Amino acid sequence: MSDLEIWITILALACATGLTRSSFWLIGHHITIPPRVQQMLRYAPACALAAIIAPDLLLDERNAMAISLLNPKMMAAVVATAYYLLRRSMIETIILGMAVFTGLRIWLQ
Amino acid sequence: MTGPVPSKVEAPSRPADEDDALWREGFKAGVPSLFGIAAWGLVVGVAMIKSGLTLTQALGMTLLVFGGSAQLASLPLIVANAPIWVIFATALTVNLRFVIFSALLAPHFAHLPWPKRLLLGYTSGDMTVALFLQRFPDEAPALGKVSYLKGLLYPNWTAWQVGSIAGIFLGSAVPEQWGLGFAGSLAILCILVPMVLGSAALSGVLVASATAVLAYNFPFKLGLLAAVVLGMLTSMLVQGAIDKRKSHVRS
Repeated sequence: MSDLEIWITILALACATGLTRSSFWLIGHHITIPPRVQQMLRYAPACALAAIIAPDLLLDERNAMAISLLNPKMMAAVVATAYYLLRRSMIETIILGMAVFTGLRIWLQ
Repeated sequence: MTGPVPSKVEAPSRPADEDDALWREGFKAGVPSLFGIAAWGLVVGVAMIKSGLTLTQALGMTLLVFGGSAQLASLPLIVANAPIWVIFATALTVNLRFVIFSALLAPHFAHLPWPKRLLLGYTSGDMTVALFLQRFPDEAPALGKVSYLKGLLYPNWTAWQVGSIAGIFLGSAVPEQWGLGFAGSLAILCILVPMVLGSAALSGVLVASATAVLAYNFPFKLGLLAAVVLGMLTSMLVQGAIDKRKSHVRS
């Protein structure tokens, strides 16, 4: 991306923040969101986040499927998920995940 | 301003929005979360640089966007040269949870002028909303609500920006081979895990992940959008089935 394209992207992202966080603030009065819509609003973000990281965790450099015990990113993610479920600490989870990722990567070289 | 309003006899004058004691109370309530916020900012800062943003672009992004998960989600797409509308749609989707938060928080502040509402809403992240609603579950006017929110907001914003800017400089100093950019994916994982506790959310996320991987090479990153739509529909179907079974059991 060119410098200009990146800046347009940044402005688009700023709009995405404003449109969502300020949405009901600007409407003002109390509105009850229908349960169906509330479900969509709740489930969509998790799906988007999963769709962003899944290829990073499960594909190799040539974009081929790499579901294997020797895939450093996948193994780091498995360990990190388990640890986060137990301890609920983001910082510790990231440090542990990076340690597994780096260790496995160096060991495999 | 605070004089009696002749037309509305019943409405007593609203308690003051600003109150020093409430500001300090909000500040104290937020302090325990500040370290985590700064660390989270640090990871996003590093990830921005490791995705190839320049120092100025990364600083601009953290100051203007102020949304860690949307920023992290946009980075792989920027690297992959995805169309800007796809990046925008993705960030919007990741942020949809804020719409629920804003619906919960906004009625407390409906009486403020709109520029102020825009700004307060813009800067209210996950932690701020949660802590505010703990203290003020009731929408009725109460003394110092704005002060309490600001007591949460300002330190939160500052901690995030300090962490983020530190991350931007740290990221610039650390060599590429360290693979620090991966910390961004791990951070997303940490936000994701609490969202998928429950079979409906979990099945949607599994479908979305599988679709995203299988459709990774679709043009314009359309595989990503397909993944979100399919995942969301799956979640809603499963939720529908669960609700149906529950109502069966009850009747």
